[in-house]
Amino acid sequence: MITARPDLDPAAEQILDGYLGELAARLPGPARARQAVLAELGDGLLDATQARLTGEATPAQAAAAAVNEFGDPATVAHAFAPELAATCARRTALALIATGPLVGGLWLAAVLTAAGPAALAAAPPWQWPVIQAGGWPARLLLGLAVVTVVAAWLTVAATGPLTCWLPTQPGLPAIAATTAAGGTGLVDLGLLVALTIAALAFPDVVSWPLATVAATASLVRCALASRAAHRCLTLRTAAS
Amino acid sequence: MRAETLKGHLDGLLLATLEPGPLHGYAVIEALRARSGGAFDLPTGTVYPALHRLERAGLLRATWSAVGGRRRRTYTLTSTGRRALAAERATWQTFATAVSALLQPAPTPAGAQA
Repeated sequence: MITARPDLDPAAEQILDGYLGELAARLPGPARARQAVLAELGDGLLDATQARLTGEATPAQAAAAAVNEFGDPATVAHAFAPELAATCARRTALALIATGPLVGGLWLAAVLTAAGPAALAAAPPWQWPVIQAGGWPARLLLGLAVVTVVAAWLTVAATGPLTCWLPTQPGLPAIAATTAAGGTGLVDLGLLVALTIAALAFPDVVSWPLATVAATASLVRCALASRAAHRCLTLRTAAS
Repeated sequence: MRAETLKGHLDGLLLATLEPGPLHGYAVIEALRARSGGAFDLPTGTVYPALHRLERAGLLRATWSAVGGRRRRTYTLTSTGRRALAAERATWQTFATAVSALLQPAPTPAGAQA
């Protein structure tokens, strides 16, 4: 794990690798983010070891002192947990915000092609004929979509430069991202159920090419969003 | 000095440490220790998350480079970070002046008995 250094003997490398291994086992979050943390701390550990090699200390003693200086892996992992949670929450929210218009646009295109422009009359979305026809389940789905958008933007606000002016609780970004990702998964699931019902009731009306593309996009996003929601929830627990 | 004592001031201290120029993580910690005369000797591993948080807040910018076959992350103070540091300094000056005035022993009134 530690890059070999000519002035480090195997015993010293073993101490540093052992520390980083223990830290790796305790760090929560996505593998890429954890690898970045381990690379940075590994570099710092080598510097700390090097700084202690000037006296009469052996490389192993210097490595042991460096490890001691960094603190026990459980404390370090716990200190990193809120940061890893915030990073994961931000990436999740940005991915949802980026894909939302694409997937939503595909579904709107499918509805427009199947039912014509009248289905999306020039009115607020909750007054669209296609929503009115869907009754309360359609309105519920629309409300859920609004909640996910708000939660995603809240996550972005709570994890970026705005944190200087808007101090937030450490667990808030992960909760907001979990809400956004979980909500997105439910919206996608609802759209797929709606398509299934429409296909059974009005098989001749459904625009299959566009509906297939939209359904595939929703299926993929539903799977990814569910995974992201679970990951954010796990990180929120680790950060608390 | 214990980490709890520095709670609320660590961000400003880290920004001040990076004011003269970019530093990598461990150099920030060494500078913090040296400039405080060894008073601020925090568990090193817990300073890194604070640097990450400041980067996420846009007060620092981090870049990776390769040094001697190792990956190294270097932190630079951003213009937003410089403004935040200036604000932190002003707040601290006001706070320190007020606390010093209160903590100084009150002058003994003339003629008071011991």
